[in-house]
Amino acid sequence: MTLANRQGTGAVVPVERNDQRFRAGQGTAAGLSIVFRKFRKALFGKPNSDRSDTEGQFNVQYPEERLSLPEAYRNMPILLFDDATGHELCTSCFQCERVCPPQVIHITQAKDPATGKPVPSAAEFIIEYDTCMSCGYCAEVCPFDAIKMDHDYELSTSNHPELDVNYNRLLRPVSYYETIAPTLWNDVRESAMKKLQNNIKRRPGAIGVDHGQKVGAKAAPAAVARPADPAGAGASAVVPAAKRAPVAAIGKTMSEEKLAKLQSIRADNQAKRGGAGAPVDSAHAVEAAVGVQPDTAQVAAPDAATPGSVAPGATGPVAAVGTSMSEEKRAKLEAIRAAKRAQGGE
Amino acid sequence: MLKTEELRINIGPQHPSTHGVFRMLVTVDGETLVDLKPVFGYLHRNHEQLGEVNSYLQNMPFTDRLDYFNSMINNHAYARSVEMLAGIEVPERAQYIRVIMDELSRILNHATALGFMLGDMGAWQTALLWGLREREKILDLFEYVSGARMMCNYARFGGVARDIDDYFITETRKLMDGLPHYFDDFEGLLTNSEIMLARARNIGVLPKELALSYSVTGPVLRASGVPYDIRRAEPYAVYDRFDFDIPVGTVGDVYDRFLVRIAEMRQAYRILEQAFQQLPEAGGGHINPKVKQQSLKPPIGEAYARVESPKGELGFYLVSDGTGNAYRYKVRAPSFINLTALADMCKGYKLADAMVILGSIDIVMGEVDR
Repeated sequence: MTLANRQGTGAVVPVERNDQRFRAGQGTAAGLSIVFRKFRKALFGKPNSDRSDTEGQFNVQYPEERLSLPEAYRNMPILLFDDATGHELCTSCFQCERVCPPQVIHITQAKDPATGKPVPSAAEFIIEYDTCMSCGYCAEVCPFDAIKMDHDYELSTSNHPELDVNYNRLLRPVSYYETIAPTLWNDVRESAMKKLQNNIKRRPGAIGVDHGQKVGAKAAPAAVARPADPAGAGASAVVPAAKRAPVAAIGKTMSEEKLAKLQSIRADNQAKRGGAGAPVDSAHAVEAAVGVQPDTAQVAAPDAATPGSVAPGATGPVAAVGTSMSEEKRAKLEAIRAAKRAQGGE
Repeated sequence: MLKTEELRINIGPQHPSTHGVFRMLVTVDGETLVDLKPVFGYLHRNHEQLGEVNSYLQNMPFTDRLDYFNSMINNHAYARSVEMLAGIEVPERAQYIRVIMDELSRILNHATALGFMLGDMGAWQTALLWGLREREKILDLFEYVSGARMMCNYARFGGVARDIDDYFITETRKLMDGLPHYFDDFEGLLTNSEIMLARARNIGVLPKELALSYSVTGPVLRASGVPYDIRRAEPYAVYDRFDFDIPVGTVGDVYDRFLVRIAEMRQAYRILEQAFQQLPEAGGGHINPKVKQQSLKPPIGEAYARVESPKGELGFYLVSDGTGNAYRYKVRAPSFINLTALADMCKGYKLADAMVILGSIDIVMGEVDR
């Protein structure tokens, strides 16, 4: 039988109300026995990881433990720039501004100072994070893959105007996006880079590079400039202007699963390039340009940044429960749990 | 007999068991409810007018915010309405993906709705958290496939935003392995409990005729004994290809609504099983590539598409004048229409029963007020 001419069947079934049964509390007792069974499993069972489990421990101790985020996860939009050249991928084509349902994207096109003609680059780019509804349309329609959805969800701030995020605070290196969504970026990487090369040719001078400085001088009216030092800024919404922030720090809490994926993709790409007889140097150069050495990044992470001083953007790509939690955090969690156990025992 | 004076009191709009910002203006005689007037509008946010200003695609994420428990089903219903308006064909695979998401939504909605209802009844926390736990697992799957847990924004005109992959299928299969145990546990927890029977049986009876005259739909109508399910009455997507039963109640009280919802979760599980069996054979991609999503301009005309949401008949009415945004956009929200029957359901019962009856209708204020 083919799918199209399959005919479903079904009946109208009255639900059973168990009306005539003799009652002496056995219904309540049956329910309570289920509760006690589950309660025992929750107390002495193992933490649950499989989706088919219906008993055991389900809790995730949030600040210490985090669930890993899927690659497609979307929170707030960010803009990408190329690690090697510093060129922004955005060409101010206004597609995202047009499609944005709550209309929170505001773009100003860059102009050539010599001729006054528009250049495929944005002079200013503001997104109102407080009104953004995270629908992901901007990332979906962007023909240049310049705007992507970030994974950072710890955006709370006491400074409301800060949530009108300007260009330099929206910018992230491509390698950062690669760490949070390796497969998705791999699908579009080649076309995005090709388009970027074409656009660079049409950008005279330094337009489209080093945006942080230019905009900083102009001092965008809505966005309050934030201190460049992430440690001084404390826990706040957006990664500060430092475009050249060490990418290694950003990728430090990448889950192992994602890391493995990223490395395999890179190996593939390298093999492709190497097949044409490229020298080992060029592969190194690419690695250096991208700026991430995930192996060292993970080791270096705990001492490079203490929890208080990390900009939340850096903690975005979140560790899978128990798998890639940093040693420090795991030890802390163990200590907390041991203390609780001791308390319960006494 | 002692003469008593009637008293008018407000329940809500900020009350833990009014399921959102909803006010009930009740008149009580002692503890007996004499009259009830539902007052809503506190969550009004101009949804329908916004739908007439926004383009067709731009309105999709706003439909997520109607019934925020089932954004997948809202998206499906809205996409169906626009597809009907513009004459867009949907590939078979996309239809199956939509059905899978709809039935997962149905399970999560009923699990939480029953949890909240039992919470109103006094079974504080246990039942509710069991419902939320299953919901959480399903939301993780939604997050994987669509990028967001609750505001999925997953449907597009002519399909869905992203295809489902092997990981999603294996994980959903895993989840489904645990679902029958979950249904049994949830049913065993309170179905025969004497306290539950005392609180639910013959409480909030909605007779068949009254239900029909209020045009109540969904589990509330089926609990009153009317076997009306849009999936069977007017099959959409590929629902005509599945074997599933329609559970109906006999009395139309709170207890029947509880039982009907549990039975519906089991039927949703059956549909999921069949959908996953048939999915590999289904042709076409996850989306119709010919459709211009952003600059869609349907021809002049009108369309009304409806789906069976877990709360009842969810319909979107659109009128096109040939431009990029709808001339008229109207939502037929099941919660809103089911809520109009609340007064007749509550009259004559005790004040404490009003909460349980409200819980048994399963309303979401985002959909009621729009």
